[in-house]
Amino acid sequence: MHNSIIWNLTLVLSLCQPIFAAGKPLNVVATTSDFGAIAREIGGESVTVTVLAQPGEDAHFVTPKPSYIAKLARTDLLIEGGAELEVGWLPPLIEGSRNPRLVLGRPAHVACAEGLSLLEVPSIRDRAQGDIHAMGNPHYMTDPVNARLVAERIGNALAVADPAQADQYRARRAVFTKRLDEKLAVWQKQLEPFKGTRVVAFHNSWPYFARRFGFTIDLFLEPRPGIPPSPAHLADIVGTMKREKIRVILVEPYQNRKTAETVASKTGAAVLDFTQYPGGIKGTEAGYIEFMDYLVNTLSAALAGERKP
Amino acid sequence: MFLRLCVVVSIFAVVMTAGTPSVSAQNATQTGGLNAFNPDLSVVVDMFYHADDSEEGISHIMEEISGFGHSHGEGEHHHHGVENGFNLRHVELQMSANADPYFKGSAIAAVDTDGAELETAELETSSLPCGFKLRGGKFYSDFGYLNAQHSHQWDFTDQPLIYKLCLGDHGLNDKGLQATWLAPTPFYLLAGVEAFQGDNETMFAYSGEAPLPSDDGPRVGVAWLKCGPNLPGNHALQFGAFGASGSHQEAHDADGDGAEDHWLAGDNSFWGGDFVYKFNAPLAYGQGDFILQGEYFNRQKDLNVIAHDLAPALVGNSRTDNQDGYYIQALYGFLPRWRGGLRWEQVGLTNQSDLPDGTSESYGGSSRIGVMADFSPSEFSRIRLQVNQGSYETADGKQDVSEVYLQWMLSLGAHAAHKF
Repeated sequence: MHNSIIWNLTLVLSLCQPIFAAGKPLNVVATTSDFGAIAREIGGESVTVTVLAQPGEDAHFVTPKPSYIAKLARTDLLIEGGAELEVGWLPPLIEGSRNPRLVLGRPAHVACAEGLSLLEVPSIRDRAQGDIHAMGNPHYMTDPVNARLVAERIGNALAVADPAQADQYRARRAVFTKRLDEKLAVWQKQLEPFKGTRVVAFHNSWPYFARRFGFTIDLFLEPRPGIPPSPAHLADIVGTMKREKIRVILVEPYQNRKTAETVASKTGAAVLDFTQYPGGIKGTEAGYIEFMDYLVNTLSAALAGERKP
Repeated sequence: MFLRLCVVVSIFAVVMTAGTPSVSAQNATQTGGLNAFNPDLSVVVDMFYHADDSEEGISHIMEEISGFGHSHGEGEHHHHGVENGFNLRHVELQMSANADPYFKGSAIAAVDTDGAELETAELETSSLPCGFKLRGGKFYSDFGYLNAQHSHQWDFTDQPLIYKLCLGDHGLNDKGLQATWLAPTPFYLLAGVEAFQGDNETMFAYSGEAPLPSDDGPRVGVAWLKCGPNLPGNHALQFGAFGASGSHQEAHDADGDGAEDHWLAGDNSFWGGDFVYKFNAPLAYGQGDFILQGEYFNRQKDLNVIAHDLAPALVGNSRTDNQDGYYIQALYGFLPRWRGGLRWEQVGLTNQSDLPDGTSESYGGSSRIGVMADFSPSEFSRIRLQVNQGSYETADGKQDVSEVYLQWMLSLGAHAAHKF
């Protein structure tokens, strides 16, 4: 009697198991919310995406929480930015996870910077220049053309990790890319009138955005990458801004808005809340395209408003 | 000594021939040629100025704290006893690389003006299944929180008292083997067991010279557990429990004539717990970040008199000692790049010795408060000012000592990642 119940239970469980396995979503971990947003877009219902860095925090400095190790241990696909964006916190987490799939170079560990041509690769690697990145500037996702290439990589990686759903990933990726291409044309048209405009930023996070949309973003409140603004440097910036009639300062959520406001009050410029990460600012949570929409709308509105008088 | 020199010379040779800027695994693909296979290299320079107002120096007081008497069975360790004035803690030369898909290795040489030591030299597996990992060589035990950290990673210039008094300047760092297992739980749970040869300078001392018995290693066993619940957002927590037990030998000079006259051998063990909470504020340059951490140790020493030249009747009698202590510290990023810290510690809350002659003694406790402020111009340098005010129970009565440290640290080379 008992034996037959146990036998029946085992039978039921063993029948259920493949069904569960097929229906079980792929565990995807992205270091930042831009990669997470694209993985969700392409993966749809077939994946669950966990993002490690808070969208409002600096992706260079993330606390390597022990609970992230537990998450990475059961990760099927890891998406990181690479190019030393996460070098200060991710390697010990991957090592701690003991997940053989996540060794760098395996298909389940995607470093999105690979294959992209990065800007500002230093010719001299000397930390007297500040916290520079040997492989180039890692803040490349605010160029939608880079996002398109990254989407292709993420789509391929999902297909390799979960071949049963490969067609679905391909289809969803095609839909996303088509939407992105259409939007890119709109964004470029929207920012076209401001081509050549010089803009100030707190940190050097925007060279790819500047290149794509024809801005010059080469003045920073930080005297060197990773070094906080000094009064002497800010005085220089104020001078340049007045001379060149620079009207906009870009500030990210974790950066000191007060410093930017002080400079703005001396120059009559506007401080714009910018973010590199979907969700970093209210209204950018929905996805990569909505996040880029915010950046383009905010900047064009500010520049258009400044031109009126 | 000759062996040590060889190690250092060969490490320097590797550093010199490597020559090129360090290449991490991340960018190995981008750097051509065989240089890409050179190990990651980094150098840490750690110097400080120290002053205290005690008559014989703080290092001497540390050896006299009641209940934590200094043993003399240790081998050939050099002591980092701080001196008033300038101190160069040591220069750490670190190298690490994957050997192949199965193993990785690293070595750290600690060089100071008196010579050099191999601080760690370890091998570990990188592809065992089911969450297992094996590690061997000479390494820091992973029990508790602070033990596995190198001195330049500490948030205060000096060690907490309980670490210094139980395990000495180097903590539990020994030749051995470690097996750890990451449990397949939805939260972080890591369990580890370690076997060490057993030549710690303070707690698991071994001489093996007659009349002390000679024991084969490994002579120390350690077990620990760490748990990290899933806290939301910028909050992180880890707590753990640990225990260690091993053989211990002491040789003493009771009449002060300069020759050892009685010898004890037996077991030494400790158990305790640790916790760390971190809040990562969404602000730049560490502003608003907060860390709270603490650890508790309880030590039990259980020895027998092996030989006694002055009182042969005591041979075979036992001596037991039970001491404990804790520290708790908080850090806060009060300005961009600036942190302030406060540490409170007590040792000898339990402080009892049952002596071989059948009598018992209990001693009072000691306590210390430390305040520090540090400034990190970049991720690769730090300047720190620390002030300690301690009240120490010694054989000469209560001694109050104030100390000041001014520390300057640099890290050169490969970008070291931070563990939790």
